[in-house]
Amino acid sequence: MSDLTADPSGTPAGVTDATTVADLTAAPEAAADVPPELVAQSLGQYLRAWWVRVRGGNSGVLPVVLAIVVVAISFQIANPKFLSAQNLVNLFEQSSIYMLLAIAEIFALLLAEIDLSVGLVMGLSSVVVAELVQPAGANWPWWAAIIVTLLACCAIGAMQGSLVARLRMPSFIVTLGGLLILEGVAIIVLGGTLVGIGNSQYKNELVLYDIFWGAFTPVVSWILLAVVVGATGTGLWLRDARKRRHGLEAPPRSLTAMKIVLMAVAGIALVAICNVNRAHVGTIEGVPYIILIVLVVLGASTVLLQRTRFGRYVYAIGGNPEAARRAGVSLPGIRTWCFVASALISGIAGVLFASWQVSLTTNIIKAANSYVLLAVAAAVIGGTSLFGGRGKTIHGVLGGLVIGGIYNGLYLLGVSSQWIDVVVAAVLLAAAVIDVLSRRGAPGRA
Amino acid sequence: MGPDRGDSGPDPGGTRAGVTDATTVADLTAAPEAAADVPPELVAQSLIQYLRAWWLKVRSGDSGILPVLLAMVVVAVTFQIITPEHSFLRPSNLVYIFGLSTVYMVLAIAETVVLLLAEIDLSVGAVALIGGVIAFKLVQQPGPHWPWWAAILAALVSCGVFGSLAGTLTARLKIPSFVVTLAGFLLFSGILIIVLGGADASVNLNSSEFNQRVIYDLVQGVIPPVASWILLAVVVGAVGTDLWLRAARRRRQGLVAPPKSVTAIRIALLALVGVAVVAVCNVNRGTTLVTVRGVPWVIPIVLVVLGVWTLVLARTRFGRYLYAIGGNPEAARRAGVSLAGIRTWAFALCSATAGLGGILLGSFFFGEYSTNTADPGQLVLYAIAAAVIGGVSLFGGRGKALHGVLGGLLIGGIAYGVSLLNLGNLTTPLEYILPGAVLLVAVGVDVLSRRGTGSVTRV
Repeated sequence: MSDLTADPSGTPAGVTDATTVADLTAAPEAAADVPPELVAQSLGQYLRAWWVRVRGGNSGVLPVVLAIVVVAISFQIANPKFLSAQNLVNLFEQSSIYMLLAIAEIFALLLAEIDLSVGLVMGLSSVVVAELVQPAGANWPWWAAIIVTLLACCAIGAMQGSLVARLRMPSFIVTLGGLLILEGVAIIVLGGTLVGIGNSQYKNELVLYDIFWGAFTPVVSWILLAVVVGATGTGLWLRDARKRRHGLEAPPRSLTAMKIVLMAVAGIALVAICNVNRAHVGTIEGVPYIILIVLVVLGASTVLLQRTRFGRYVYAIGGNPEAARRAGVSLPGIRTWCFVASALISGIAGVLFASWQVSLTTNIIKAANSYVLLAVAAAVIGGTSLFGGRGKTIHGVLGGLVIGGIYNGLYLLGVSSQWIDVVVAAVLLAAAVIDVLSRRGAPGRA
Repeated sequence: MGPDRGDSGPDPGGTRAGVTDATTVADLTAAPEAAADVPPELVAQSLIQYLRAWWLKVRSGDSGILPVLLAMVVVAVTFQIITPEHSFLRPSNLVYIFGLSTVYMVLAIAETVVLLLAEIDLSVGAVALIGGVIAFKLVQQPGPHWPWWAAILAALVSCGVFGSLAGTLTARLKIPSFVVTLAGFLLFSGILIIVLGGADASVNLNSSEFNQRVIYDLVQGVIPPVASWILLAVVVGAVGTDLWLRAARRRRQGLVAPPKSVTAIRIALLALVGVAVVAVCNVNRGTTLVTVRGVPWVIPIVLVVLGVWTLVLARTRFGRYLYAIGGNPEAARRAGVSLAGIRTWAFALCSATAGLGGILLGSFFFGEYSTNTADPGQLVLYAIAAAVIGGVSLFGGRGKALHGVLGGLLIGGIAYGVSLLNLGNLTTPLEYILPGAVLLVAVGVDVLSRRGTGSVTRV
């Protein structure tokens, strides 16, 4: 036992032979680094290994899930309306913007960079898409407007990314200068007056409006849920089965089943909540479109970061850029593409933002800037590290839910916006402290 | 003096810092890359040599205040040409630009202190506004009715405490300073509204009451023309004498010192700039009904802030430690410098200085503070831009308080120049775009010039 912990020479990356598995509980400090799915053979072992890892400082989504529970329970006690179906859907809608911006920010944070311009990329995107569908102006079809807007956002990301990646200018300065310029450009595009998409006579404006405010009918919602859970569940199951067949490391069958069941339960709960009539007068029910949009962005970015070579390189650069460079990774290329991805997702958030606000003014553009703080806060609260190399896009979604919950809950309680800012700042600081302290506990990090 | 200076050169045994033996001086022109790192005042013995060494330093990327001075000339000439009626350089506008730039200058000096450590403080804008509101609240009558000096002191101390909190988190817990101060920005923006008493509240100075009048006059008050001239003579006399005596003492004791002619030129330049400033300020800038002449109080106030910070950075142990940590924290640590202590103090003093900037800002806006007085986010962007444009490096260890003042003046000049142009809807956007573009260019130059010296090893 003791000789094993003292002999780290044989396996540099993952210590996965049988002896280690047997030693798991005896030498928790050695096992803390190895993902539990690599060593566990049964559900019990898996849970035990996971607990060891949590205690070793690598707690994953556990803190943010706990935070969501705490937020939900405290606000429900303070105001029984908090967990009503009506308010929950409202909360999801508000949080969707935070979630998308946090996912965008994670692409920068994984590289140990930061993108302070996500708020104003969103602001510019919202103005551009709204201007492009104006019947009295450009009068483009809605899909062309969205595509061109998103391409423009990609170009902004490519420019900022190039300055960061090729000139090695500090990212927070590039994006600070960038956001100033974008703010000016957005006000120019806006043209000094307000622009709205609330006129339901025009089909293109109506489609944009419905992106945020529209919903699937209850029946379609259920069908969609079945399709999503069915597809994802089958994918998960088949992948694990294939891994097992090929003798690769895979979680135990019971765990895969549990994951799928959890997903289905969460999905059913969500659809059930959304299908309650939430209108004061008339009928509004069904799953809002934006929930599907957030899920699609989450799924696509998760696949990109977890399953592709690009994603592995992102984590490699975030963990140790010099090592990644020596391994032949093109640092400038990957970095630039990450900033493009960040700007693209911020642009998607901008389309949602335009739809949410319905009419845009100079003051709303300026307010868009403050969203970057919430995006960073959401990502860090969700469990993404500020020092690069650690984080998943699901963290952005969960952190966005916490931020949205705090805002929504405090607002319901009649707390003024400045106190909400104070609370969010305190939560961000707490998350950063936890990030730093957990990194300090982890081996091999300063 | 020719190259034969074996006897007149300073004694190298006595100087620990500079390499000043005869060989180096003789090699100056032969091996520019070796000489580029040594400050010219260490090796030059005559004016010509001094200028040549300075030019070598500029060409090697360490250009000091030269770029920002050039930029100021370009901005001044451009706006003078393109503004309607060529009004940019009118005395009234110049004085107004100085008042407008005050907050940027003071905040840029504050930011410089932190930038020297290779850290950043994104909360200076919000902290500055809190400092201003605290001072304004404390002199209110009815209200606390404190004397003006106690109110200012209390505001600066409160801001210092805020800064020390951010500094402690950064220095002891090693949380990145931009995250701590980002949270601080959010936190203090909230606290600002709470201190102010609500989003719609405002606090005003009543200029007929003495203590409020003093704070109101910090920017708005003027020194009478005659007193302005006397003050100028005193300031130039004192600073000039100090410069001259110090250089003479160093020469007498065999330490390195610039040649006498360089000292004389510096003093003459100082006097020239002073005379120009006073002359501009003494032109009547009032309307046909009211005469406004004289140097505004804010100019000596900014000079005092500049002087104090220059002394602290250049002549005290604390200042040397700041540069040491910024240059190489590990080397500083091994030399026995308390990194956490110096860093915490730097953030505290940065915030206290920012608080003074906030008080001056309120005075500039005729003694009124509301949530619309200034956007804390924009203030901090301008402050960082001003410092970097002035010549402070983002990577630590390089910069002076003077850089903040020059950068702040440039930013204020651009902002005001744009507002003079009849651009209609383009005015507001350009007030964002120009500082952003200037910031990017300045940082790009900083990065590229650093790359030339090989002192940046970022992958």
